[in-house]
Amino acid sequence: MTSVVNARGVSKHFGTVRAVDDVSFEIEQGKILGLIGPNGAGKTTLLKAVLGLTDCDGELSVLGLDPFRQRKELLKNICFIADVAVLPRWIKVTQLLEFVESVHPNFSRKRAEGFLSQTTVRSDAKVRELSKGMVVQLHLSIIMAIDAKLLVLDEPTLGLDIIFRKEFYSNLLNDYFDEKRTILITTHQVEEIENLLTDIMFINDGKILLDSPMDAIADSYVELTTSGEDAIKARGLGPIAEHEMFGKSVLLFEGVSRENLDGLGELRTPSVADLFVAKVKGARK
Amino acid sequence: MIGNQLALIKREFWEHRSIYVTPLAIASIVTLSVLAMLVFASGFAKELDLAIFGASNLAGEGERKAALTAFFVGTSWLFLVALAILTVFYCLDSLYGERKDKSILFWRSLPITDAETVISKLLTAVVIIPVAAVIGIIATHIANLIITSIWVSMKGGDAGLLIWGSVPLFDNWMAAFIVVLASGVWMSPFIAWFLFVSAWTKRAPLLMAFMPLILIPLLEWIFLRTRFFATAVLDRGDAIPLFRTLDIESFFDEEHWRDGLDGISLLGHLDVVQFLTSPSMWGGLLVCALFITAAVYVRRYRDES
Repeated sequence: MTSVVNARGVSKHFGTVRAVDDVSFEIEQGKILGLIGPNGAGKTTLLKAVLGLTDCDGELSVLGLDPFRQRKELLKNICFIADVAVLPRWIKVTQLLEFVESVHPNFSRKRAEGFLSQTTVRSDAKVRELSKGMVVQLHLSIIMAIDAKLLVLDEPTLGLDIIFRKEFYSNLLNDYFDEKRTILITTHQVEEIENLLTDIMFINDGKILLDSPMDAIADSYVELTTSGEDAIKARGLGPIAEHEMFGKSVLLFEGVSRENLDGLGELRTPSVADLFVAKVKGARK
Repeated sequence: MIGNQLALIKREFWEHRSIYVTPLAIASIVTLSVLAMLVFASGFAKELDLAIFGASNLAGEGERKAALTAFFVGTSWLFLVALAILTVFYCLDSLYGERKDKSILFWRSLPITDAETVISKLLTAVVIIPVAAVIGIIATHIANLIITSIWVSMKGGDAGLLIWGSVPLFDNWMAAFIVVLASGVWMSPFIAWFLFVSAWTKRAPLLMAFMPLILIPLLEWIFLRTRFFATAVLDRGDAIPLFRTLDIESFFDEEHWRDGLDGISLLGHLDVVQFLTSPSMWGGLLVCALFITAAVYVRRYRDES
């Protein structure tokens, strides 16, 4: 496996605030990595460092390049959607396609027009005349028509209704993703993307709390719903988090095998959201 | 690199349509005014006959040439003034607008360097807007010459002699081209300053750009009783080392054309060599380079979120 992003001891300070604090990780080709963290956790700063939009300390290489110093070279092979509202409002759809075609060596206008023809975006419209959902469709059509190795999506579906959101991700998976590409995505709506992720990374206060393949989550983490005597027994096994639901205790275990918990209650693999909350709360203690 | 520049400059035309709308508007206004004047003049049939008779028989080629040149210079000035205002607003918006609407994040997601982007805006202000103005000037001249000759013919004058025989077209157009382009280069330190403010300021670019230009000379005068800044910076507009002596009124002076009509030439009064070898022109370019570097630096290093 080739690694697409390689970070060793990456830090970024803003004055005394450490937005990203000595972070090391690796993203391999063909993965869809979800970067999950609360507001101000350092997600956006980390993405910016990966995209070469900001300088940072430590070693960071993306597609074998220094993202900040070799940004132009890098941007031929990576794409990003930073926020939904960034397409210039004055530009016409045709002008936008023409411009990207003339500056981007890996962009196929035909492909973009193909994607757009499946939407309701008119090619003679200006961006300001389009609805928010249509702007995202337009942006995604452009991004998907770029033959890039790494796609970075920062809250790509913010402010969209559920139908657009579902469509966005299904287009991304069906028409774009293949084993040669890599996608790095951040979002608050974890539940919607957890099924399409291959890997997951939690970040809080600039530090990585979890970095794991999705299928390893079920091996390492288990959630037990129990009550009474069993709950007391289970607590003895050292859960990393506990909360009450419908009068029952829900306990989350890390590295405790399912055999040990068998018979103490109902077992299941925790959702990414529950795991995330447990990890963040655990880190704060 | 060049392909990117062409695409970027084309982009400026899409975003700032005033680059070609303004010359078009002035050309239309001038043409309509001339038309109105001609219609108005048509009401005075007797005086008109006399004037055409006079122009055909009494006035020499020198007077006609001088009169047409004066008209041309007048209309060219209109373009130059409008161009200056347009350039100020263009520059102040060019790197500020993209930050305000956050489209900078989209532009920076494409494989274009910040230097390429800033230079495309500089080229637009220093070269493209002036060229658009020259095209506007030439179009205005042609349109008005055609209208006037039709009108003169209808009134019984000989347009071939009165208008086309006397008009120093090439001389005027070359002069307009040189003056407008040289003005862009001469004013490039201001253009670069406006671009820098546009890249740097968080709000009110117009205010931020002009405040130092007013405050610094004021403070200098209050505390030091000197006017170095004002002389070096504010007086730059009058100081362009391009004209040897240019006094349009003297064109009508017969003494002036005693040795032939070459004296009634705009081109003859331009000293391009003096301009190109002038230390203040090169000093200006140096200041321009400094502010442009600063603008690139700010666009590249500042965190926009």
